[in-house]
Amino acid sequence: MSFFSSLRQKAPFLERIAESFTPTMSRDERFRLQYKLPQEEYILDDTNTDVSFLSPYSSKFNDDKKMYANGKSVAYVFSGKLFLTPHFLVFKDAFDETSCVLILNISTVKRVERSPSQSYAFALLVTLYSGTQILVQFIGLRSRSEQFCEKLKEMLKHNIPNAKRLPEFVESCYSNFLIEKNVLRKHSIAAPKAGLGQHFKYPGQPDVAKEKAKLRLWFEYFKENGCNMAMIQNRTFQKLVRIGIPSRMRGEIWELCSGSMFLRFSNPGEYRKLLDDNRNKTSMAIDEIEKDLKRSLPEYSAYQTAEGIQRLRNVLTAYSWKNPDVGYCQAMNIVCAALLIYMTEEQAFWCLSNLCDIYAPGYYSKTMYGTLLDQRVFEAFVEEKMPVLNDYIVQHDIQLSVISLPWFLSLFYTSMPLEYAVRIMDIFFMNGPRTLFQVALAVLKVNGDDILQADDDGMFIAIVKHYFQTLHESAHPDSEDIKYRQITKFQELLVTAFKEFNVITEDMIVQQRNKYKKTIFENIETFVKKTQIRRMPKTFNLSETEMSNIYDVFYQSIETHKISLGTGSSNMTFEVFVQFLGKFCDWCKPCKSDDDPVYKKQKKNFLRKLFNNWDSAKLGELTINDVVLGLDKMVTPDMLELINYFFSLYDEDNDGQLQKDEVLQMSEGLLLLTTPWKTGKYVDLLTKKAIEDDIADEIVKESHPDQETVDKIELPAGVTIDEDKYKAQQSERYLKAASSFLQRCFEYARPLELDQQVDLLDLSDDEDKSEKDKEQQKKKFAAIVANAALDPTRPTVIDLATFRMVILADETYELFFTTTLRSSIHLEEGADSNGNNQVLKSMFDGIIADGRRVAAQVRRRVDSVATNRSRTESIDTANDQATTVSTATATTRGEDLDDFTADHPEEHEGLLQSSWLDIDEDGDEQHEPRQERKVETMAPSIQERQQDLIEFEA
Amino acid sequence: MSKPVTSIKLVLLGEAAVGKSSIVLRFVSDDFSENKEPTIGAAFLTQRVNINDHTVKFEIWDTAGQERFASLAPMYYRNAQAALVVYDVTKPQSFIKARHWVKELHEQASKNIIIALVGNKVDIVDENEEERKVAREEAEKLAEEEGLLFFETSAKTGANINEVFMGIGEKIPLKGPEEEAQGSGLNVTDDQRVNLDSPGNADGPAGACSC
Repeated sequence: MSFFSSLRQKAPFLERIAESFTPTMSRDERFRLQYKLPQEEYILDDTNTDVSFLSPYSSKFNDDKKMYANGKSVAYVFSGKLFLTPHFLVFKDAFDETSCVLILNISTVKRVERSPSQSYAFALLVTLYSGTQILVQFIGLRSRSEQFCEKLKEMLKHNIPNAKRLPEFVESCYSNFLIEKNVLRKHSIAAPKAGLGQHFKYPGQPDVAKEKAKLRLWFEYFKENGCNMAMIQNRTFQKLVRIGIPSRMRGEIWELCSGSMFLRFSNPGEYRKLLDDNRNKTSMAIDEIEKDLKRSLPEYSAYQTAEGIQRLRNVLTAYSWKNPDVGYCQAMNIVCAALLIYMTEEQAFWCLSNLCDIYAPGYYSKTMYGTLLDQRVFEAFVEEKMPVLNDYIVQHDIQLSVISLPWFLSLFYTSMPLEYAVRIMDIFFMNGPRTLFQVALAVLKVNGDDILQADDDGMFIAIVKHYFQTLHESAHPDSEDIKYRQITKFQELLVTAFKEFNVITEDMIVQQRNKYKKTIFENIETFVKKTQIRRMPKTFNLSETEMSNIYDVFYQSIETHKISLGTGSSNMTFEVFVQFLGKFCDWCKPCKSDDDPVYKKQKKNFLRKLFNNWDSAKLGELTINDVVLGLDKMVTPDMLELINYFFSLYDEDNDGQLQKDEVLQMSEGLLLLTTPWKTGKYVDLLTKKAIEDDIADEIVKESHPDQETVDKIELPAGVTIDEDKYKAQQSERYLKAASSFLQRCFEYARPLELDQQVDLLDLSDDEDKSEKDKEQQKKKFAAIVANAALDPTRPTVIDLATFRMVILADETYELFFTTTLRSSIHLEEGADSNGNNQVLKSMFDGIIADGRRVAAQVRRRVDSVATNRSRTESIDTANDQATTVSTATATTRGEDLDDFTADHPEEHEGLLQSSWLDIDEDGDEQHEPRQERKVETMAPSIQERQQDLIEFEA
Repeated sequence: MSKPVTSIKLVLLGEAAVGKSSIVLRFVSDDFSENKEPTIGAAFLTQRVNINDHTVKFEIWDTAGQERFASLAPMYYRNAQAALVVYDVTKPQSFIKARHWVKELHEQASKNIIIALVGNKVDIVDENEEERKVAREEAEKLAEEEGLLFFETSAKTGANINEVFMGIGEKIPLKGPEEEAQGSGLNVTDDQRVNLDSPGNADGPAGACSC
């Protein structure tokens, strides 16, 4: 069997392996996560060492000292690896990585000295402020060891300012207090500040004697293994945590295990500063917090007092300022209220911070992606570990996450009585997020038999609810054995969770999260989009696809905003707005003219006007709704509406009239908008029509086709269009439109009443500009000079009616408001599509390639000749139209100007005057209102979707 | 002979702190507590009531109100036959949210879901009319446009609470042999009848069909 086919067989297996080894975290990230170190820590160096500890208070201390002096090994020597980061020394034993873990903030180091060693090995004796000595014997190359020491020395030097703060900091730790009071016999010192529980009693009214006994165990542990900022965690530590931390000690151990103690140490004063800096500020999060303050563990007496409420308010508010992306999420109030029973405000603040970042990642985010993700992971675990139960749940259409979601989100606080929830919390902070999964699985396991009787969600919930309320009861009430009978349901739960489901590791959770992340994020994005689009204001001219495209491009443009994570501002700044519009609008696309300062200024001025007009809340930023409403106005098929809208852009004071400078601005806006046509980048309908006519004429002239052959006409491959000629014509036409616009504006402007006179632009401004943009400005200037009304001493205004008239007076500008502008906004193009540019750029090529359209023109000419000859108009007309329509439909390049064809004014007049022509038939394809308007204005008009009509040749 | 039992899955939706849980608490236990913990995810409660010889078992899903929980809501209104969309008559913002919910339910929930629009906390308004920020007429208009039942309630005083659930109970087609006979008399606007594809089927014991 070939190597490849066997490989192919193994492929799924290999994929699975690859999946599980996908490096999702760097070594430093993993390291930080494992030891709960602050973000700025990274591994500077590591080395293999043997480490032994000498506590100054240890009962063995004196003996050890003697042994040490005799040159023998110290009692406990751990072999393992020592890591150095900018602020920490971390040691983990090589045996199983849990028998001895030392996390030592180097601020606690008082002295480091080379230790005499008889084995000629290189050794350091590290003395801490607490008096503990650590003997580090390096294993490996001497040079490497020296290198490590050099780095350590450097870090110690950098850390001197921090070390100075250490004494004050450790005074806030209860462990320090225990040592000082009981070992150093300092009876006068006051206990450090504590959580609310100190005054308001701890939940569950723990037995005093039991608490004291536990506290003593901790005291002994601290004496032996150090405490707070420099402590060894070994198996005894884990046991002490598992039997339940004494209430007074709990806050500090949570703080220590979660790593938030290090944050509190390295960010002194930040908590206060956050509160002070944001005093009296309001935010959405603050409103939401206020609503819930009295609803957080309301049965706990402290939260019926102003003091308790105030502490809760402070911590939640400070966190919402620290992490505005999360702000505030219901359930945080309950978790935080629980923390505050055991911790001071500042401790709780940092603990909450680490909890949200490391322990419950994304749980409380704006989209709650973490919660949804972990529910999916949990379901996967249930499926794997409890297949029978899982089958049953699926069969009965019970949604597991409906039941389990609150457990995870509120960390069991809303499910279990407080005294049990904090016990789970003890282990949670020590062992990490897997604790939640283990306990949740154990709840299902323990109640498995009952759950298998449940018919629906309701019964399922009732079973679990009852179980949580009876955790204090015996797990085996009917047992003969009294010892067995004494085991409570809660103890049983812990044993099941941490023995049976010990197989659930942190790595597994990380792996599973990676597996489901993509789907969950996609679901969230779809949901958010659906909801947002549903809640958008009513629009008149946008289709669903267009809304969806606007949504996609909007959020793609705002790079800082992550929809699925719910982070970052979702509003659009002016700079982003320009980019955004460039993706849809031809006249906003980045182009060569951007280098031209005059053009650049015009563009900026116009876009600013648009931006300010759309900015409904006057925030200086646009929301998705602003953008949708704005674009909706821009693409109205109603020409008059669009003209009105354009007028209102410049009529900022809303008085219905424009002053001279406003008119000038407006003409510049029009110049900008028409630039792509003026420069010949795109072709408008008038030009297109002219080209097609010319080609058709040429063909008719050269080949004299008759009706039979016309269907076979194909453009000769070699035919070229004098591109430059049409470009020049079009450009000329746009320039003329611009100049006659100004000319007419001032011609029809009426004098401003005297009291309304304002300081207007004088002519010198125009002359300045004309240097930069000679030709236009010259024409403009000529127009201005030609007009008597321009006398600067006689200010004039134009109103909307005049403006409308001026626009309609010019074929090019009228066309611009009828179709050109609208067709330059490509909302129907999806976010990922950029084919649009291509098509537009090769507009001229497109005409050459598209022989059929020209053929239709040719046919029309032939037909009309025939028509004249035979005088059998009506039949041919019908045929002809049918042909034209079908060719147009066949044109795939339909999204741009190609769909429309310009009519010459004479044709219209002829059309309207010909009484014998069946106008109704044409009217079918037209919109009624526009038909009327055409009659009204009698101006040349180009109709959307109106296909070429019959040519009337005299 | 035992009365026929109809199960109605009902979901409460609405902005945070408008009193959704309090409405349920009043209805289920005729109780009120000033500071209830916010609902995390959702709470589930049941209550049986008699409506015209029928027993209706309400299976109530009380959901969390905060905006970010909205993505979880479909989980709860899935298969629901009825929904209470609650707002606070003193908070205009909550009425805007209520509109959104109605829209979402019409788009996403079961076709024939019966929706009641509920303006809660009228006790505050009764004390001081100036506190009212959502006009009754405005809500009535929305209810009419969208085909909703409409109530103004106070979970605190209990005013109108039972009426909400009774109103819904009467709108839902009941099961049992008498249904044919009584149905038309009970429900005037029953033309667009509900299809019984909902999970309530599990509760419709065959025994109830004594024919």
